[in-house]
Amino acid sequence: MSALAQYALLLALAAGVVGLALSLHGISRSLGKPREEEGKDVPATAGKLHRDPVWARYHVRYYGYALLFLAFDMEMAFMYPWAVVYKELGLVALLDMGVFLAILFLGLLYGWSQGALRRQ
Amino acid sequence: MTTVLVIVALLVGAYLVAVLESWTSTGRLSFASPLLAGLALVGRESLVPRKSDRIFFEVGPVLLLVSAVLAAAVLPLSPGLIITDLTTGALFVNAALAYVMVALLMAGWGPDGAYAMVGGFRFLGQLVGYSMPIVMAIVGVAMRAESLVTTQIVESQVTLPNAVYQPVGFMIFFVAAMAVCFLPPFDLPTAPGELAGGVMAEYTGWRLAVMRLARAVLVVTLAASVTVFYLGGWNGPVLPPWAWTAVKTLAVAAVMLVAGRYVPRLREEHLLAWYWKFAIPLALLNILYVGIVLIAGSSSSMSM
Amino acid sequence: MSVRVSAKLSGARMARASWLGRLISKAAARDLSAFVVPGPEVARARGLDLRAAGLDFSPTPRHASVLVVVGRVPEGLREAADVVYAQMPRPRAVLAVGTEDVWYLPEPDVSVELDQDELNDGVAKLRRLFTEGAFDPEAEDFEVAALRSRTQYTCSMHPEVVQDVPGTCPKCGMDLIPREAAVDDGHAPADQGLGGHAHGGHDHAHHAGMTHDERAAEEGQGHTDHSHPGREYRHDGSQHTEARPTEGPGADDEERNPKEHGPAHSDARGGHGSINHEGMDHGAHDLGEEGHGHEKHGCMDKGGMNHGSHESMDHGAEKSGEHEGHGGHEGMDHGDMEFMSMVEMTQGTPRSSDGLQMEWVETPFGPLFPGLPGGLALTFTLDGDTVAEAEAASTVGARAWEDLNGPVGAFVERLARVDPLAPVSYRLLALRAVESAAGTRVESEVELARVSALERERVASHLNWLAGFGYLIGYSWLARRAEELQLALLRADAEGMAGIRPEVRKLARRAEWTPLLRRKLGGLGKVPDLAGVTGPVARAGGRWTDARMEEETYRSVGFEPVVVEGNDALARMRVRLMETERSLDLVEKAGPSAMPSGGPEDSASGRGRAVVETPRGSATLVLTLNAGEATVAELETPSTRHMGLVKPVTEQRELGDALAGVASLDLSPWEIAR
Repeated sequence: MSALAQYALLLALAAGVVGLALSLHGISRSLGKPREEEGKDVPATAGKLHRDPVWARYHVRYYGYALLFLAFDMEMAFMYPWAVVYKELGLVALLDMGVFLAILFLGLLYGWSQGALRRQ
Repeated sequence: MTTVLVIVALLVGAYLVAVLESWTSTGRLSFASPLLAGLALVGRESLVPRKSDRIFFEVGPVLLLVSAVLAAAVLPLSPGLIITDLTTGALFVNAALAYVMVALLMAGWGPDGAYAMVGGFRFLGQLVGYSMPIVMAIVGVAMRAESLVTTQIVESQVTLPNAVYQPVGFMIFFVAAMAVCFLPPFDLPTAPGELAGGVMAEYTGWRLAVMRLARAVLVVTLAASVTVFYLGGWNGPVLPPWAWTAVKTLAVAAVMLVAGRYVPRLREEHLLAWYWKFAIPLALLNILYVGIVLIAGSSSSMSM
Repeated sequence: MSVRVSAKLSGARMARASWLGRLISKAAARDLSAFVVPGPEVARARGLDLRAAGLDFSPTPRHASVLVVVGRVPEGLREAADVVYAQMPRPRAVLAVGTEDVWYLPEPDVSVELDQDELNDGVAKLRRLFTEGAFDPEAEDFEVAALRSRTQYTCSMHPEVVQDVPGTCPKCGMDLIPREAAVDDGHAPADQGLGGHAHGGHDHAHHAGMTHDERAAEEGQGHTDHSHPGREYRHDGSQHTEARPTEGPGADDEERNPKEHGPAHSDARGGHGSINHEGMDHGAHDLGEEGHGHEKHGCMDKGGMNHGSHESMDHGAEKSGEHEGHGGHEGMDHGDMEFMSMVEMTQGTPRSSDGLQMEWVETPFGPLFPGLPGGLALTFTLDGDTVAEAEAASTVGARAWEDLNGPVGAFVERLARVDPLAPVSYRLLALRAVESAAGTRVESEVELARVSALERERVASHLNWLAGFGYLIGYSWLARRAEELQLALLRADAEGMAGIRPEVRKLARRAEWTPLLRRKLGGLGKVPDLAGVTGPVARAGGRWTDARMEEETYRSVGFEPVVVEGNDALARMRVRLMETERSLDLVEKAGPSAMPSGGPEDSASGRGRAVVETPRGSATLVLTLNAGEATVAELETPSTRHMGLVKPVTEQRELGDALAGVASLDLSPWEIAR
């Protein structure tokens, strides 16, 4: 199978899933629409009608981790190709990536020491 | 044809996972229960919360199912029995699973409900925790296989499964996999006792059915990826290859589902702290360890 | 009364029954999940095993198909029951257990006695109802006043303009825009509003603030729809801080005396009024009344308050500094600012503990929250996933202790019914107080049997708590096991009790050795000041307080309190587990238990005082007897004292931690006078 065909197949799979969801929707709809009643469409919050919107600027307390995560995530992009050719290159690859990882790891340790690794 | 076979296998797996899950939550083992629950859900009203972000709300569950199915598409059931054997297979698994977070965040934001909102952002935090260890663990696997192709990863484990070859990586991957499919004790986004359903709270009827199906498929996908990356996939004596993958996958799924019953839910701050302070350094050490073993192995084979 | 079944399913889905419908009906009948009112803990305390009857618990009404009502639901919880029922998707049903009094819900589809066999039978009947009538083309809507909302029309530039019909603004001629508001209309029973009002001014004030906000937002941005609700919230935030200083006293008053709702309310209004200014204010009020013309009093009150708070906020802002006030207005007035600066965005929003300015969202976690006892109306102001502020109130407690007064016999019964989670304790408390007032001596065997009954209840109560707590913290094995043991205990005879002891011991050891449990609970829910705290909460903080130490009967059976250091959720769980074991020992030593009963003759008079160590701490009752008429002079219950601990264990905590902290206090909302 060519690479293009493979991705076409994946796309078809995704489309199939969407189709499944739509057909479930169709079956459900064939049984009638939901009754519109008072209070029914208000998000359920423990027996109180909470009509206020909750869309707000949400305060994530893990932003310290999240910033480190960005740095590490970038680095991982390099690691996959490196992993594939690792055995071929041998010790050189280990040293290359070792230095890179050591620097990154130092960064993690520094962040840790500065209190980045906690709920803010 | 293979596609259909794999999809059927996936669905059967998801069905069994749903049976197991209903057993862990109700204590009754009933093989009909997921079918009944599914039918009942399709027959119930599927409500759309008022003033919701309709697009996010609708897309959430479907995207969750799509990402689980796509990730499963690159995992082999046996040689040849795989939907697409991408050259970037292991990377693709990661890429597809990243959408789990997007889907849950959408499902959390969409309905404009307070519990769902917290649940969605909790899962984002969970991703910040689990995603690095999972990626690093896969790097260890790819180093040994010299490939990202999942079938080659399985073949690299003919002599010794990775679970034994790199046990640290295996443990990390297993725990992180449980976090990906938000099973207890990592069920922070859905926490029944804390968020009354969280991201799932506002889904009813067929939409809830899709969500639950997606979750079950996700568990199968993750269990299958543990099998493929660490348990030697289809390798095994006597049984046909596909049966080995199936048995291993189901066993992993069962462990994942049952383990959470015996531990309390993790606190968000602990989850993040442990992933970053223990799992990530350990995963890096695992890479180093695999690197050294590989070099030692190749040099010794050269000298022989 | 036996099992009673209605003719057809009240919550049927409106549709013709096709073959698919029939298939689905059958599936739905076999897949029933329940949402329990007032809560699963009440069902367990009454010895009902819903799981054995084939009903699975659902944490949210959204995923439930049966609303199970256990026992008489107090007035303060009925509105919540309505809301929960309304939020269940059809087909849905009501199963009333041990109560006929459910007029606020649709006619129960099945009603049964408080009895396991009847419950099993009832569920079977319910299944049949689902099979036959899950789809019904003539299904009726569920409508009660509590759920109604109405659309008001308001001007985007002049928020004080509110009317019930669309039109144009009398001030500027712009088209009015619709907005949703709750209805407090006169059809509701007198105390219908109590559920909402119990939260006191806070809720109310905030609500008023909110509606005002939306208006303010619309005023500012000229939005005619809700496409940017996030924006609206920015204003909410600003309202929050700026309005608080002026609202503070009024709101607090109301919080403490929910009963004095009315006066406090007008106080608050008065407060605003004094800050309010000239003709503008008048205009607002007049218009408000015009707008609300055909509504009853409550709503007008709200409207008034609303305007009041709005004006005060505006003026407050202007007073506090030209610049700031102006800035705020700039933000509002110059409409669709897609590119506003961060400084403007965050102006006036509350500051979090880490100094960032974020928007806070007020979120109810009760009265019907799965992880907490039903009737505990907890409201968290969430700053992300962190609790910035917490308010707690009971919606199920006795309206006032005076309601208990009456002839001795009736008094004892009434007090015994106050708390379904600890009926024996309160019955004993009443009896002891009456006996003390009448000067009756109680024989030691009787006293021993009472002790036995009380300790038995303590075991059941602690296990019940453990089941709920295990559910909250996501430890399903613990929750399930505690539930099984608790239900077994309620049904056990002397022999059965002996069988339960080793099981409880095993459970305690297992909990002790559970991985992660110690890490999870350690340090959670620390209480800064243990003064006035009683029961396991105090004993988990190393305090030797236990009313049982002073009792002769307890000393005779060798009682010693369980005291543990730690003062956190972990220590509280340990104390309760150890007490459970110790109470089982006491039950064995004290012999057969007997429900406290009897009492002095009807004509006795005097003043008496009694203390009982309930499962939650010591309860004290002082009463006067006047020719057989009991009058409560003073009744102190542990949960009333412990309500004050909710704030310190929750504020600035992560949501899950805060909830675990609250649950570790084992509050019973029933024993709190509203």
